[in-house]
Amino acid sequence: MNIEATLVSDLLPLIVYFGAVLAVTGVMLGGAYFLGQRHSAKAANEPFESGIVPAGDVHIRFSIQFYLLAIFFVIFDMESVFLFAWSVALRESGWPGFIEALIFIGVLLAALIYLWSIGALDWRTRRQRIDAQKSGRRE
Amino acid sequence: MNSSQLIAFLPVICIAAAAVVVMLTIAVRRHFTLTCLMAGLGLLVSLLALAMAGRQGPVQVTPLIRVDAYGRFVMALLLAAGLAVIAFCYDYFKNREGENEELLFLILAALLGASVLVTSCHFATFFIGLETLSVSLFVLVGYVLGQSGSLEAAVKYLVLSGVSSAFLLMGMALIYAQCGQLNFSGIEQYLASQELFNGMVLTGIVFIVAGVGFKLSLVPFHLWTPDVYEGAPAPVTAFIATVSKGAVFILLLRFFLSSGGYFYGPALTVFSVMAVASILVGNVLALLQNNVKRMLAYSSIAHMGYLLIAFIAGGRIAPNLVVESVTFYLVAYFMTTLGAFGVVSILSTPQAEAVALSFYHGLFWRRPGLAAIFTFMLLSLAGIPLTAGFIGKFYIFAAGADGRLWGLLLMLIIGSGLGLYYYLRLIVVMSMSQETGIDAGHEAAFGRVSSVILAVLTVLLVWFGIYPGYLMSLIQGLY
Amino acid sequence: MMLLALVAVLFLGGLAALISERWSPATPRWIALAALALEFVLVLLQYLLTTDQSSAWIADLKRPWIARFGIGFHLAMDGLSLALVMLTVVLGFMAVSCSWTEIKQRPGFFYFNLLMCLAGTVGVFLALDLFLFFFSWEVMIIPMYFLISIWGHEDRTAAAIKFVIFTQVSGLLMLLAIVMLALIYHGDTGVYSFDYFDLLGTRLDADTAFWLMLGFFVAFTVKLPSVPFHTWLPDAHTQAPTGGSVILAGVMLKTGAYGLLRFVIPLFPEAAHQFAPVAMALGAVSVLYAAMMAFAQSDLKRLIAYTSVSHMGFVLLGVFAWNLLALQGAVMTMLAHGISAAALFMIAGALQERLHTREMGNMGGFWTAMPRLSAVALFFAIASLGLPGLGNFLGEFLVLLGAFKVSMALTALAALVMILSPIYALFIIQKAFHGPLRQPYPIADFGYRDMAAMGLLVIASVWLGLHPHLVLSETEPSLQTLQSSAAMESTDEQ
Repeated sequence: MNIEATLVSDLLPLIVYFGAVLAVTGVMLGGAYFLGQRHSAKAANEPFESGIVPAGDVHIRFSIQFYLLAIFFVIFDMESVFLFAWSVALRESGWPGFIEALIFIGVLLAALIYLWSIGALDWRTRRQRIDAQKSGRRE
Repeated sequence: MNSSQLIAFLPVICIAAAAVVVMLTIAVRRHFTLTCLMAGLGLLVSLLALAMAGRQGPVQVTPLIRVDAYGRFVMALLLAAGLAVIAFCYDYFKNREGENEELLFLILAALLGASVLVTSCHFATFFIGLETLSVSLFVLVGYVLGQSGSLEAAVKYLVLSGVSSAFLLMGMALIYAQCGQLNFSGIEQYLASQELFNGMVLTGIVFIVAGVGFKLSLVPFHLWTPDVYEGAPAPVTAFIATVSKGAVFILLLRFFLSSGGYFYGPALTVFSVMAVASILVGNVLALLQNNVKRMLAYSSIAHMGYLLIAFIAGGRIAPNLVVESVTFYLVAYFMTTLGAFGVVSILSTPQAEAVALSFYHGLFWRRPGLAAIFTFMLLSLAGIPLTAGFIGKFYIFAAGADGRLWGLLLMLIIGSGLGLYYYLRLIVVMSMSQETGIDAGHEAAFGRVSSVILAVLTVLLVWFGIYPGYLMSLIQGLY
Repeated sequence: MMLLALVAVLFLGGLAALISERWSPATPRWIALAALALEFVLVLLQYLLTTDQSSAWIADLKRPWIARFGIGFHLAMDGLSLALVMLTVVLGFMAVSCSWTEIKQRPGFFYFNLLMCLAGTVGVFLALDLFLFFFSWEVMIIPMYFLISIWGHEDRTAAAIKFVIFTQVSGLLMLLAIVMLALIYHGDTGVYSFDYFDLLGTRLDADTAFWLMLGFFVAFTVKLPSVPFHTWLPDAHTQAPTGGSVILAGVMLKTGAYGLLRFVIPLFPEAAHQFAPVAMALGAVSVLYAAMMAFAQSDLKRLIAYTSVSHMGFVLLGVFAWNLLALQGAVMTMLAHGISAAALFMIAGALQERLHTREMGNMGGFWTAMPRLSAVALFFAIASLGLPGLGNFLGEFLVLLGAFKVSMALTALAALVMILSPIYALFIIQKAFHGPLRQPYPIADFGYRDMAAMGLLVIASVWLGLHPHLVLSETEPSLQTLQSSAAMESTDEQ
């Protein structure tokens, strides 16, 4: 009981804050919904009501490389979080910790080498790569 | 980490190192045979390390992992299954287009997860092992590009597996909230100190059961199984059916044995319901399949149900008989399933998976050796004597009868009757005369490495079926 | 060691037959014949070399097998198993003989399955370890499945699967009972054992004993078969190739009866005694129902199959009457029916090979076309209706005599079959052998090989009928042991 009581008192500010966030966003969205004007004119859903009619699809295709690179960034970024944890406890973990961190970095390095060598970091399309190779040969 | 801990943990380290080495090998030179060799070598080294650690007693490696004789045995089983799968992969993928080398890396990563899983004694390693295994499996399932079925299976597996992981984490959180402990023995101590059932812990256990039930494809968490089995390349299916399920089942057993989950009768009731449902649904739906992989998928659901009977008996009988039964059954199941999917994988061509019954028409007369192997595997699945599957079923009977689980055993009998029908149907198709079969141009190449593995599996299957004493005494000394 | 050789000869012979197909399609059958001949010599030697009359057991072989559960490789032979093994060998010859020309497709695999099936059957008759017994019990099923599903007739697949599922499911019930029995023994003594002699004295409370007995009983009555578990039999027998039918009807059905004799009653005397009225009623119903069903068939093999069910009903009746007379009658019926049913199936098979039909509507007039075949057919039709002087009559008579003391009503009911069986037996003769000949083309009569085989069966049948003394005296000690062990148990219980 005691623990629960303290838990509640500790958490109270957080709960209040959480409620407040909900309330504020709710008021903003709800206010806009109820007070705002509505139009059902023909061009109402266009980006610029009185401008140039947009041409083309908004769904632009990005190169797959973009996603790949983004994912690599996320992965390596995430891995560095573990290094933070290690660096905080650097003295406590001592030499074993150092060796383990080395192994960890080594595996990351191996992954990087792998990615590099299979060409995952190469931002060119296949066509561009082939062209580059040809031009390189010509030179 | 002192030297004995290092030796105990060395097999796991070896697998991890092998994975990294395989990755670097691919980076240096893309060569499928070379990569297969490296991966196989890595597993052999790891097995050697296991053998080295062989006579060691239980060793606690960090608070997260506990390597004991049983864990070592199961790990050896998993690694051996991994070797067989690599052999099947070699023949399956060697003539296919595309960059197939990463497959080996993924298999090693999955094995790493499975090995951690079977030596885990803590929720953290439980979860990490399971996720390492699952994440590798998503990619393995969808590995063959350009096959929509394969991709669909991968996505399905990914989504459902994510949900099941969430359940698992929720269950762990609930148990932690009540016990304040994450390691199994700590949970046991807490539960032993409590007199009454604890609702929160029970809910947590049921959540964990749901999460694990997904991995084991127990009804009602089985919906992914047929699609994934069908969509994944045959060697990968063999891998999912054996390594993934086996490791998770062993973990479940260890969790229940070491954390006192067996005190919780209602959890066992949940398991009983799942076992009955799995046996019935698995067998009945397998009857309706014309696709060999789907049929084997449903039959594997039923087999997990059979295995659960021995597991449930643990609530009433001595743990050593439970461990023995489960382990023997799993060994038999591993050999049989690997063999069955190995045959499917040998018969598959780059154009088509050997899933239609027409692939098996007259197989007895076209390739008698392969057909004989498949027949043995199917008979073992059906639990017919002269095969290890029969001894496994005998163990289930012994455990179930000792635990007085009459209803479940009756289900087992009914399930076996239903099972015979579809196993025999496949054998009948194989024994049909050749004229009705397909033309020989359809024939797959002769996979030499896989054939050797299949022959070894068959010999072992028959040996353990006729003279199981050796394996029994081996398993008996483990727990 | 001789006992091990009995199983091993057939087993190795089967393997040899399988391999020898590579050289010539004719070698497998010669190898099968040689294996059976060797088996025959071995059985004979075993019988003749035994001089020790002190025990009912002629030979005994016990080796440890699976130490974990105290399972031993325990084979033993007494008069009863000797007679049945002899029957198995003789009918094995018959099966090989009638498959001689019939089987053209994959002969190596055929004879492999045939011999494996016989090896399993011999194993069943010799095994005295319950685990080994179950093991052999299952081993004989799968080869038979292959025999039916590969070399059988038009509906072979369905029939074969039905056969396997019936026997397998009931077999698992028996396995459950076996395991339970061993566990109870373990609970009493602290050691695991599946040995027959160990388990014989296990103390059971009445409820447990009843359920365990039921597990065994169902397995054996499915195999026997008895109403209501008989539905697999007409299909399996009809669809099987002739050799398969001969083994099925002649030998395999006897394993069910043997199991009842050897295991059900000695292991659970009390429960079996309580259950006896039900079992006997089932027996009597089988006798009558199957005889009537036989009369309604137009398919020759199906008709014969139903007569098998009818005769096996007598065995069930005799076993559960449980006095020496009835037991001897049951054993006699088993042997005599084995011979007569095998002969009838061979005749049906021969007809099918010649006419490509089993419909009796398409038959007739063979008496003139095939005098030798017809004469043999007449002989065995009469044997199966129970003509005095032949084995079948003796068996049924002894069963009725023994059962009469136990249940007058059921015996009277079963005796009604004495009216029904002549009807169906003569029905066959009239339909198939009398009347005008329907086939315009000449039909080959039995040749020398067939006549030799048939002659052997005729002699055996007459010998059983006229000189039953040898069989009766050989089986008497073992039957007496069985009976007394059961009787002793029941007095112990009280």
